[in-house]
Amino acid sequence: MTLSKVEIITSMAKVVALQESFGRFGITGMTVTQVMGCGVQLGRQEYEDEKSKKHKMPKLLAKQIVMIVLPTEDVSKFLEFVKKELYTGHIGDGKIFISPVDNVVRARTGEEGLEALVEGEL
Amino acid sequence: MEEKKLGLGSVIATGVGLIVATSCLLSLGQGTSMIGVTIVISMLIAFSLNVLTALSISELNALMSDLTGGLAQYTLACMGPFVTVIAMVGGYIVCNTIVGSAECAMFGNTLKSVFPQVGIPGSVYCIVLLILLIIVNLKGVDMFAKIQNIVAYGLILSLVIMGVMGCLKLGTGTTVTQPAVISSKFKDITSLCGLAFFLFIGCEYIVPISSKVKNARRNIPLGMVLSLAIVMVMQTILVFGFKNYTLWSDLGASATPHVLYGTLLLGNVGTMWMAIVSILAVTSSINTIIASLAYICEGMAKINLLPSIFMKKNKKGAPYVGILVIGGSMIIINATGLSTTSQLSLLILTGCVFWMITYIIAHMNVLILRKRLPKAPRTFKVPFGSVLPIIGIIGIVWMIYNISADSAMRLKIYEVTGITFTILAVYSIIWIKYVMKIKLFKPLSVKEVMAMENDLYYINHQKAYKIKADKNKATVM
Repeated sequence: MTLSKVEIITSMAKVVALQESFGRFGITGMTVTQVMGCGVQLGRQEYEDEKSKKHKMPKLLAKQIVMIVLPTEDVSKFLEFVKKELYTGHIGDGKIFISPVDNVVRARTGEEGLEALVEGEL
Repeated sequence: MEEKKLGLGSVIATGVGLIVATSCLLSLGQGTSMIGVTIVISMLIAFSLNVLTALSISELNALMSDLTGGLAQYTLACMGPFVTVIAMVGGYIVCNTIVGSAECAMFGNTLKSVFPQVGIPGSVYCIVLLILLIIVNLKGVDMFAKIQNIVAYGLILSLVIMGVMGCLKLGTGTTVTQPAVISSKFKDITSLCGLAFFLFIGCEYIVPISSKVKNARRNIPLGMVLSLAIVMVMQTILVFGFKNYTLWSDLGASATPHVLYGTLLLGNVGTMWMAIVSILAVTSSINTIIASLAYICEGMAKINLLPSIFMKKNKKGAPYVGILVIGGSMIIINATGLSTTSQLSLLILTGCVFWMITYIIAHMNVLILRKRLPKAPRTFKVPFGSVLPIIGIIGIVWMIYNISADSAMRLKIYEVTGITFTILAVYSIIWIKYVMKIKLFKPLSVKEVMAMENDLYYINHQKAYKIKADKNKATVM
């Protein structure tokens, strides 16, 4: 079974909403990282005039990255859920990055792949 | 974070509050007197088309949520400012102010007929009521929700009880024996669909309060459809009640058929009860009109379609300029006696056509956004692809064609609509070209319209314009 990594960049408020709903997808773990960054808006607020040269230098905003590894076959269903959960229509809803995972190793037992993600008997 | 205050109950109350009004009861009585209980078929057709509109509006709200301007903002992102100004100023603000004033006048007439010995002119009742509702709305959303719930549920309960009593022949009055069906011809039934449509319009007033609704994704679409369904059931029951207690000819001749029904059902108690129902109905609908139109004006001001003064709020957070302008206009219309002329019925139907055009635009907005943003996540999507919005558009066009059974009246309505549209088009062109200084038909991006919702957008862009103007001045010097 192949695994995929989903990284979601979003705000703290959305992390709580995602956290509450993840159980239903059988997700076995999540990692949340506090980060600073900006997207194509260069950290400008949505109400600011785009032509304004007020912020020549990118402004870094506080965001969270939620990292999850799950079976590739579950990714599309999961993405549909996350997209709806993040969506407000406003700039800053976030980005979702999906990438393949070659392998996962549980350091304590040496289990690999999906076995390393689920609760094992060892 | 702003606290979400309104639940599904308040959403339904807001929807039912505007949908059910005295003028609806009047229309229901008149329509029923023409063809009998087969009016229910006309109502069912109108109900179905209104559900389609509610679904389309729900999808738009899911895609562009928490917008105070509702359809104005969706249309701006889909068809540009010209259509938005015409549809929203004509289809909503002007039309609702007139319909609301007519509603108020009917309330005054009802009270005048119930208390003829007092000798107070109907317009005085209207003005007192309007002043009270303006004050209530200036108190902010909490008061609005409390009043709305009490009034709407009281109204629904009263109408259902009186309707059921009539259906089961439980009234103290004398029952009448008459054929239930006067006409079952398809042409007669369809000719009343326009009138029946008026019984259901208004559920979209839920949209401007969506930012204050708990679990809006579920409660907004559900609230709209449930509001319409409640109204459908309630009015169907009333139709059968009419059949048992009021002669069709008397029902058609009466200017206040609901009061007539109450009197024939329960005597003086029924008269008083229906008077109370009228008070509740008018209070509910006018309250909703003033509050929602003020929010819509605020939303339109945010996107520069109306002067920025409409964005001002008082200490309670109420958009007081909109409340005062809408409420004040209704007072003036009632005070000048315009509401009491026979032209009002024409104006109501004309307003209805405007409203229908706005609904067509709502369906078109859905189709445009489906094409433009096919992958955007929608927490609510109208099922079966584009089929239902297209059926909605065709159905409403057909209703506009059937707005009145009388061809002379129909032509007059088209004429008034055409003239009003022309005036609005002139206003729209001047405002957009010389005040907004943007292209008439160029839609704004969704993100831009969403950003406009933020109060800081206007301040920020005004600053940007000012800097630009100052630089130009410096260059000239």
